Amino acid sequence: MIAYKFLENGAVSPFAGFRWPADEWVDAAAADPCRRGIHACRIEDLPFWLGSELWEIELDGEVVVQQRKVVAPRGRLLRRVADWNQAVLAEFGADVLARTRTRFGAVADLSGYVGDIQIHLASGRVPLAAFAAARAAERSGGPVEYERERSRQAAWLADRLGLGAV
Amino acid sequence: MRLDRELTCIEVVELVTAYLEDALGGAERERVEEHLVFCDGCSTYLEQIRQTIAIAGRLEPEDIPAALQEKLLAAFRDWTPA
Amino acid sequence: MEAPPPVEERRLVDGLRAGDESAFTRLVHEYGPSMLRVARMFVSSRAVAEEVVQEAWVGVLNGIGRFEGRSSLKTWIFRILTNTAKTRAVREGRSIPFSALGGEDEEGGAVDADRFLGDDTRFPGHWAAPPQRWEAQPERSLLSSEALQLIEREIAKLPPNQAIVVTMRDVEGFDAEEVRNALDISETNQRVLLHRARTKLRRALEEYLK
Repeated sequence: MIAYKFLENGAVSPFAGFRWPADEWVDAAAADPCRRGIHACRIEDLPFWLGSELWEIELDGEVVVQQRKVVAPRGRLLRRVADWNQAVLAEFGADVLARTRTRFGAVADLSGYVGDIQIHLASGRVPLAAFAAARAAERSGGPVEYERERSRQAAWLADRLGLGAV
Repeated sequence: MRLDRELTCIEVVELVTAYLEDALGGAERERVEEHLVFCDGCSTYLEQIRQTIAIAGRLEPEDIPAALQEKLLAAFRDWTPA
Repeated sequence: MEAPPPVEERRLVDGLRAGDESAFTRLVHEYGPSMLRVARMFVSSRAVAEEVVQEAWVGVLNGIGRFEGRSSLKTWIFRILTNTAKTRAVREGRSIPFSALGGEDEEGGAVDADRFLGDDTRFPGHWAAPPQRWEAQPERSLLSSEALQLIEREIAKLPPNQAIVVTMRDVEGFDAEEVRNALDISETNQRVLLHRARTKLRRALEEYLK
């Protein structure tokens, strides 16, 4: 199965601190002895795990689906998604802002989130801005709207980066 | 108003020890990490807990007093291996 | 603190069993200071702690013939130590509750509630005043002996059960299972005590670094 993985600079996993080799199969135990699995994103998971580098990863073995990711016993980084960089992250943020402003800019209880998003984007905190947008949506229409906003964010990423195209 | 789809920072701060112990179930662990992606405050807090642990790990105890060492040696010399 | 590796450990055990004084001296040097530190947290005075350590070593010698190597030597020695210390503490009328259930000091949240946003805000329960990263303060370095002394002082201020758990875990480097076994407490209890201790230590460091 092909999936995606956000890593920090140098192909380092953000939580385990494991430095991923390129194009080499990695066993779950090697990547993180506690974790018992290689974590990866489906397209719908991408907005939750934004990081510096985006990689395409091939997974092997039984793939377990969790709420926001998939987990497999083995994985291999295939290629770096070259289009993903800080500039595109900022574009993503701008899209989140525009959508939230359109939806809630004139809604009394929710317009404050627009200002929050602007502030977060100004300090480079794009994941926080994305969360704020989803939160605003949830405030307006419950958890279903949270998920819908996140789906829109995922769709933007897939489209902009050409992901999932066969 | 508490909504459905999040852990608050208050909750994450209470979960850090369990998180570091790998004692959280998969779903809760995921929610903590999901939160850490966007929350600088909690990421910093977690890092500070790690730093606190590291400092504690560098504490070296004083040597045991000479008088106690002598008593221990005496006890050893009195002792006969079975 | 590093324990001798397993091969080395076996040699020391064999040495003890054979009555080799140098093996004993080596072990006393290796573990004695930490044993004294932990014992001190159970009992009322330094002098009593020294007696506990003495008694524990006698227990080690008397038991070394039965040591099977199922746990590490260090774990086994510290289990004898904590049992000896607990017994002595009880004789002194100081029994230390390791059940983390109820009856402790403050035990509010890990961080003051006013550091977080209220229910009427856009992000209830999120940081209002988030912690600031520590490394940006070179003049009050985390590496300083001041920081070490601070941690030592703060550990001494903890309730004994928290002090013992955090000392064994974070200072001595025992893992959760070893501490559970040595103190005969559940994993949950151990974790709650550890959490409370680390919470306070972090807060003390945060104050110090302000």
